[in-house]
Amino acid sequence: MAAADTMFGESLKEFGAFDFNACYNCGTCTAVCSLSDEQNSFPREMVRFSVLGLRDDIHSSVKPWLCYYCGQCSTHCPQDAKPAELMMSLRRYLTSVYDWTGLGRKLYTSKAWEFGSIAILALLILVLFLFLHGPMTTELTDQGGVKLNTFAPWKQVEIGDWIMAGMLSFFLLSNIFNMYLKIVRKNKGLKIPIKLWFTELYNLIVHFATQKQFSKCDTLGTGKKFTFSSYWIIHWFLMSSYVIMFIMIVFFLGWFQTDNIYHWTHPQRLFGYYATAGLLTGVVWFFVARFRKSDEKSKHSHITDWTFLVLLFLTTVTGILVQIFRINGMPYPTYYTYVIHLMVLFPMLMIEVPFSKWSHLAYRPFAIYFDRVVQAAKKIK
Amino acid sequence: MNRKLGVYICHCGGNISDYVDVEKVKAAVEHDEGVFLARTTMFACSDATQKEMVEDINANQLDGIVVASCSPKLHLTTFRAVAERAGLNKYNYVHANIREQVSWAHSDNKTGATEKAIHLVKSAIARVRLAESLDPITIPSRKAVAVIGAGISGMRAAIELADMGCPVTLIEREHFVGGRVAQWDLLFTTDQTGKELVTRLYDDIAKRSNIRLLTGAEVIENTGNIGDFTLKVKVTPRYINERCDEGNLQRAIDACPVEVPDDFNFNITTRKAIYHNFPSEYPQYPVIDIKNCTRCGECEKVCGSIDFSQQEKTVEVKAGSVLMATGFDPYNPSEGEFGYLQFDNVVTLPQFKRIIDMCEEKLTFRGKDIHNIAYIYCVGSRQVEAGASSAGGSATDRYEEASRDISGENRYCSRYCCTSVIHSAIETKKRFRAVNNYHFTRGIRTYGKQELLYNESLKMGDIYLQSYENDPPSVIRENGKTTVRINDIMTAGKEISVNADLIVLVTGMVPRSDNRIASLFKLPKGRDNFFNEIHMKLRPVETVIDGVTICGACQGPKNITESVNSSLSAATKSFSYVSKGELELEPIIARVDAALCTWCGKCMEACPFDAVKKVVDGGKEIAAINNSVCKGCGMCLPVCPVNAIDLVAYSDQEMETMINALAEDIK
Repeated sequence: MAAADTMFGESLKEFGAFDFNACYNCGTCTAVCSLSDEQNSFPREMVRFSVLGLRDDIHSSVKPWLCYYCGQCSTHCPQDAKPAELMMSLRRYLTSVYDWTGLGRKLYTSKAWEFGSIAILALLILVLFLFLHGPMTTELTDQGGVKLNTFAPWKQVEIGDWIMAGMLSFFLLSNIFNMYLKIVRKNKGLKIPIKLWFTELYNLIVHFATQKQFSKCDTLGTGKKFTFSSYWIIHWFLMSSYVIMFIMIVFFLGWFQTDNIYHWTHPQRLFGYYATAGLLTGVVWFFVARFRKSDEKSKHSHITDWTFLVLLFLTTVTGILVQIFRINGMPYPTYYTYVIHLMVLFPMLMIEVPFSKWSHLAYRPFAIYFDRVVQAAKKIK
Repeated sequence: MNRKLGVYICHCGGNISDYVDVEKVKAAVEHDEGVFLARTTMFACSDATQKEMVEDINANQLDGIVVASCSPKLHLTTFRAVAERAGLNKYNYVHANIREQVSWAHSDNKTGATEKAIHLVKSAIARVRLAESLDPITIPSRKAVAVIGAGISGMRAAIELADMGCPVTLIEREHFVGGRVAQWDLLFTTDQTGKELVTRLYDDIAKRSNIRLLTGAEVIENTGNIGDFTLKVKVTPRYINERCDEGNLQRAIDACPVEVPDDFNFNITTRKAIYHNFPSEYPQYPVIDIKNCTRCGECEKVCGSIDFSQQEKTVEVKAGSVLMATGFDPYNPSEGEFGYLQFDNVVTLPQFKRIIDMCEEKLTFRGKDIHNIAYIYCVGSRQVEAGASSAGGSATDRYEEASRDISGENRYCSRYCCTSVIHSAIETKKRFRAVNNYHFTRGIRTYGKQELLYNESLKMGDIYLQSYENDPPSVIRENGKTTVRINDIMTAGKEISVNADLIVLVTGMVPRSDNRIASLFKLPKGRDNFFNEIHMKLRPVETVIDGVTICGACQGPKNITESVNSSLSAATKSFSYVSKGELELEPIIARVDAALCTWCGKCMEACPFDAVKKVVDGGKEIAAINNSVCKGCGMCLPVCPVNAIDLVAYSDQEMETMINALAEDIK
């Protein structure tokens, strides 16, 4: 038995949901959803849970992560209850629920916390540089480039990188573990053979790498199993760029942050171009979409959606500038831009990866993975 | 009797002629005694054939016609009109049904069908040979209408009748007008209060000199019939003079030591023996409830207007038509039904409406703050057969579960309650702080514009849960806390519980428990025990008792709009009975042969319309038929032991000759 609680709906509104109370349970949303199926029927059920405030049912549900927000449900809702936006809000809410530190909730529901944290982390970087930076030499390399590694030796920066990566992994993984407790361990009495964790593992990898569910979104009535929608392609371009960049700066910093100026066909430059192109295209594309509000999924923007885009945009632009200044032998612009670049990059990663929007990149494939394991275990039973 | 008859046999396009050999029928009857002409026709009801019939009758001076076609339910009036257009008395036309009773019924046996058609047509011919020309019965009709019940329907009807120039007597049993509507506060769509509506109608009534309002008045006897009703009305006095000082009266109310449950507030409060329901209640001076008054004299000490010498009197009201607007009772749940009278925080919807009306800043009931309200829908409406729902009801020391048995006779939907409760829930939320509304429904029926209200309440965050009739919600008291539980079909049958401070049973409408008025007028009731109209769609305010119309919720659950719609309709219908000063009635009625009648009273017992009376005629007791009341149903005929009663146009002679024709051998 579950107790109804109207207060839950109020708290969900802080995560961006609105008007979902208007739902009269016709089920049109579920009928028009291309991703809803017999095992996982949504969004009506999630709307219902939210209206009634059935927290336990929401916390243990993977369904919000199975939705990729095509917005068809909101378009067709006769009550204008905006089920798609509710699903989006539930993803924000669940992100804060999985986060055991409680920071996620603060960052989502309080602007002071969100902007305050960014400012503090940026200041931290600034202070570190003030005290620890190397000589700001104006001497150029033989190729005419700025000696960036003299100002900020990559070995030292890498130490910071590793500390940051360690913290990110710790928080994100512990949050994923928390997610596992809520979703998988919720099925009391269900025995899951260890073997299943391996046989179903491909789901995690495939869905992370391809995000193929995204391509199935909004296919209802087209007769197709998937579409190469520009939305999916751009999102994938952005995501892959982000991942490449992340790998390069955390694992291959020495190779990436070099004082050498390679020929443009060199992998260091090619990867860099790909990643910056992807980031720029994606960010601008999403910016424009959210400004124009032309499609359902871009109509409603939570403050954290904007923050993420702005931070990502600034990171990308400052990164590009650092490269331009360095190659063209402009020492001071290179140094200052580099500091600003890190002052944006660091808060963005620290806030977004474990506690906020970025984490969906991990939660989505894990949700599918956990769901498949549970389904398979139930079948055995 | 030498008659000249015309017989028309219809093909009905093939509906008849595909199975009945109409030419053979024609050949079989055209030489019957009196038949001057016999024709077959493709469609007897077509304009062309109707014109042909008129020409035939005129050209040949026919004095009787038979049409053999479809059911008389379809075209009896059509061919009666044909006869009248040809100058022939319409009762000289007899109908034979050879479609529903022959071709459609015997499509498997064409020979037999044809034979049966011949028999039926022959018997119709036999009857028309004996047909008489009849004239409608004309009776005088008094231009006055008695309206019973001064609720919203009765008051509105009275005003309408008065404006059409018809004197009206408005008879109200209570001492105050307005009925149920006066008990309601804000109403949906207009956002006026019930009191405002009643005040407006009362002012309109007071302005009209041709409305006589009797309050505290109860009809105790009804004699007469359409056009001439005589009602005896017992009028209870108020025991207070009309000219009185308001301040003194208030002091008299304060002084009264008697406290009795207050009906107006559905017994959630008490009132004095001298009372008014609310300060501006109409008529605007209080009344002494003499049944509960102890005659202690306290009120007389402070107020000079009190007059215990007033006497009950009987008033005679004469009217040509009676309009019934006696309203409804709210369903009264049985003890323990969803915890009613078992738990102290379970109330009915009418009680809840009074509670929110009486609360000022804080919503409280029995001294406790109310935040979570659970509304259980369809209590006393849409009931199911016994055994179809689980009964519930168990108790241990700290755990008590109320009965959730919803079996009963009230199968109908009360229509108004969904809207009414949602409106009240919204008003409650708007007026009081921190109120959560939980609706336990069986499907929402806020039809028409009322749907907007449902939408508004959803958007305000009201929660709707739904169950089927075989699994109603349960009300549980555990450790002093009351919860309502439901297997919510909107959440895949999941059990959801709500901790409720107040439980409102959304009770529907039932017929008035005091139904003496119905027996006085012999008003027929439907299966649901509300008054019954003649035809739900086509004659919605008339009853089988001529001259008596019905409207408002005495006829079945209605909201105010629907009640007033029907009341205006009933006013017009009642006025049509009295407007001309006389009435024309069907001449097909029973007739008593005074020579044969020995008065045994059996016919009087058999008559469902009270049309038979004992009279003394030339020193002999015989039965007499009241022409204005008799419907010609024929119930009195077979019970007469001396065969003294005949029915006009259906006399024994006519019936016998028809039977003979049916039994005749066909060559």
